[in-house]
Amino acid sequence: MKQVLEGSHAVSEAVRLARVQVISAYPITPQTHIVEAISAFCADGTMDARFLCVESEHSAMAAVIAAASTGVRAFTATSSHGLAYMHELLHWAAAARLPIVMAEVNRALGPGWNIWMDQTDSLSQRDTGWIQLYCEDGQDVLDTTLMAFRLAEAVHLPVMVVLDAFYLSHTFEPVDVPRQNQVDRFLPPLVPRISLDTAHPRVLNQMAPPGVYMEMRYNIQTAMAQVPRRLTQYQKEFRAIFDRPPGDAVEAVQCEDAEVVLVTSGTISSTCRQVISDLRSRGEKIGMLKIKMFRPFPIALVRRFLGAARKVAVVDRNFSFGASGVFAQELRAALCNLDGHPPVFGYIAGLGGRDVTPDTLVEIYRRTQDCPTPPEESIWIGLNQEVVQSWYN
Amino acid sequence: MAPQEAFVDPVPLFVPCSRTSTEVNKTGSWRYLRPTYTEKTAPCGAACPAGEDIARIAMLASRGLFQEAWETILQENPFPAVCGRVCFHPCEGACNRAQLDEPIAIHQLERFLGDTALAAGTQAAVNERSAQGRKAAVVGAGPAGLAAAFFLTRLGFTCEVFEAQPEPGGLLRWGIPAYRLPKEVLQGEIKRIENRGVKILCQTPVTARTLEKIKARNDALFIAGGYGRPIRLNIPGGEMACDGLSFLAQIRSPATFAISGTAAVIGGGNTALDVARTLLRRGVEPVLVYRRRRQDMPAFAPEVDMALKEGIKIKELSAPIRIAQDPNDPESFPLNYELTLQKMKVSSTAINGRARVIPDGNKIETLRVQGVFTAIGAEGDNLGDFPPGANQKHLELSHCQMALQDLPVIWGGDLATPVKSVTHAIASGKQAAIALDTLFAEGWDAVATRLSACRIGSGPTVSMAAYLGGDRERRSARVVTFDEINADYFHPRARVTPVTLDVEQRLPSFAEIEQTLVTGAAREEATRCFNCGICNACDNCRLFCPEMAVAVENTARRINLDYCKGCGICVVECPRNAMVLEEETP
Repeated sequence: MKQVLEGSHAVSEAVRLARVQVISAYPITPQTHIVEAISAFCADGTMDARFLCVESEHSAMAAVIAAASTGVRAFTATSSHGLAYMHELLHWAAAARLPIVMAEVNRALGPGWNIWMDQTDSLSQRDTGWIQLYCEDGQDVLDTTLMAFRLAEAVHLPVMVVLDAFYLSHTFEPVDVPRQNQVDRFLPPLVPRISLDTAHPRVLNQMAPPGVYMEMRYNIQTAMAQVPRRLTQYQKEFRAIFDRPPGDAVEAVQCEDAEVVLVTSGTISSTCRQVISDLRSRGEKIGMLKIKMFRPFPIALVRRFLGAARKVAVVDRNFSFGASGVFAQELRAALCNLDGHPPVFGYIAGLGGRDVTPDTLVEIYRRTQDCPTPPEESIWIGLNQEVVQSWYN
Repeated sequence: MAPQEAFVDPVPLFVPCSRTSTEVNKTGSWRYLRPTYTEKTAPCGAACPAGEDIARIAMLASRGLFQEAWETILQENPFPAVCGRVCFHPCEGACNRAQLDEPIAIHQLERFLGDTALAAGTQAAVNERSAQGRKAAVVGAGPAGLAAAFFLTRLGFTCEVFEAQPEPGGLLRWGIPAYRLPKEVLQGEIKRIENRGVKILCQTPVTARTLEKIKARNDALFIAGGYGRPIRLNIPGGEMACDGLSFLAQIRSPATFAISGTAAVIGGGNTALDVARTLLRRGVEPVLVYRRRRQDMPAFAPEVDMALKEGIKIKELSAPIRIAQDPNDPESFPLNYELTLQKMKVSSTAINGRARVIPDGNKIETLRVQGVFTAIGAEGDNLGDFPPGANQKHLELSHCQMALQDLPVIWGGDLATPVKSVTHAIASGKQAAIALDTLFAEGWDAVATRLSACRIGSGPTVSMAAYLGGDRERRSARVVTFDEINADYFHPRARVTPVTLDVEQRLPSFAEIEQTLVTGAAREEATRCFNCGICNACDNCRLFCPEMAVAVENTARRINLDYCKGCGICVVECPRNAMVLEEETP
């Protein structure tokens, strides 16, 4: 049934429908609405689940790790500094092979203190072994959360469902909320492969010496590598049950004949769809590649869709200091061994909640068109030159 | 195993996992500090003259175990319903919770438990020895005498109590007005003591002659005749003043009251206030005349506050020097008096906490009143050669004087207590019972040692439960301070407010001012108690132990020293300081 839902509550509804058994979280803007609704579900009996209040995100992740180790479905949510605070346990959750799902609302890191949209928080956790799925709209949020549990439990790796601060978390949109029996078909009860049991005591995750550690890491990558194929299969099942397609790992929009392909993620993709529609109607050859799945990075799909493109412009709402935007880095790495790959232009836009408007994307498109080869450095779009110059005076 | 999906390879899962027990790793060998369960003394219990185990009483009450809570009071005090009303509750002044928000309303809780038991008519299952064949006589059926009889009976003595008045209770019966202590409450608690086998003989005054006969029939004697003789006002016209205590005793029979208008009440103690407040209830306008300042009054501060709230005026720094019939109006009836007061002033700093006052020159004030009442103290009889002199073997205890005459004699109650209060009188009776029991069992020299061994905290308070052995005896005498409470586990919560009568409702009657708490409020209030120093089975120690080295066996907690590595988390997380962490002795 279609409901008008806040993006945060699209997550909450999905968690309810997924029959999550343990939730632990610590509030942080702009995530708080997610767990507020879930805690209300737990309190009023809508969900048969335990909500563990903790004093920090570090403990929240520790609590869901413990819960998942006993073989129950566990969920948490956080944002920005909260995610950074979880960092060591993110590594732990993945290497312990626990199918935890976390909603992560993209928010800038301070200082300067900033609660608005920025992807640097989630992207700086890229090496922790978590699957990362970025959402574009409210429906995508709900669908991706359900898919996250299915994927996590299939490959025994944790999944981060990433959504834009405010543009998604606090925006109300019509969302088709499925029925419980549909969700139960898509997401059967967890049959845990790791489950502590007091009747049969054992110790998990003790010392692993050099003789086995490397194999364990390879083992994680083997599971990670299965994700694209499994995602494709679960998308088919999803579509059959819910009668709508869930988001693809990578979505190519009019890339075939495009002179410039913009690479986007999150809500910028929706803005870009509008720009494509406007520019195409004037005969301009623009395309878009939306990357939903950042981890594992969809190398094969990127090569397939961009291998023949003329120019690629990556819009990064994040920045890795001393290098470039993170999506641009990953894209270049994916393409560099491909003969005749297109030049990749890296653009930085919309940090700390600055709006990325259709005009911003048009400017990126034009600059890419006008420039024969990409500069070494990232191109920062929309900088206020008056402010920048004032530092030197 | 998860169902296998045909379209992909199975997901390999390679994580460190061992079925080898970590029990082989005896982490206890790392320990150089050792936690132990060491219960300590709560400040309330140490401050209680009767040594009630308040922390435990509140713990039981918080679980709705009212009978058990009440029995825990009766271990130390046979008068919970009385003391819940009239004790000046020094326990609350010592309560650690005062440093978080407000002290626990201990007296309200005690009164609730006492009244609940009275209403149910239950007898307490307190430990009691069977009769040992020894007989003890008690002189005076006031709180000290009745407490002594109660405790002596529990220790196996056969007791008779001799009382001069027509009803037992002493000052409780004759000196405390009904608005503070209803007669039925007192009668109920005395009845319960009688039901344990104590025989009370009323209208049987003990004189020097009858005392000899009593001695001949008994093995021991406890004398608690109280301060029965009022001190007279030694000024010109002093014989025209009425004695306040006699007034309080007579007022209970309705026919005896004839004055109206204004009356002066001379004195600054609790009796003076009782007299003034009783007069107010009989339509008289009382003026309290006190020679020092208000803050120097020996009356308990809450009683003074209540009196002021009811509209009683206090004339401080005023000493009476003469009472005369009003010369201007010699024919009036009732009589009018002229009370002449010498104004006083503070001369220097305090002596024993009270200001020293001297006459303020020739400043005189004259009051025209319709009555003068005195409440300036009382004294006791020297029954049985009191105080014991150097000619006999004697021992001065904190609440009693003890002598070995032809049989052991102990003087207690107001005659011997440091503070003249009901609860101190009860403490005196208990101390006498323990002293006599020890004397017969172990001899004279053991008395002081025994009493010292069953003290609560560092003060003179003694505990019958500790004397008879048990958990309380094993507690450390160290009194828990607020700093030692883990206040993270307690959140500010308002103290219970009892329902009270408005001033307008109080004055026309002798109805009790404060109402007894209802069950829910009493239980709620009990949950505010920190339970300082005693284990309430909250299980924090067990839940927080990283080695899972805390085991529960028969409701008691035990530390498995094979695995306890002495990190001390249990001790820190104990909200109430019922544990200690000590260095291992090699």
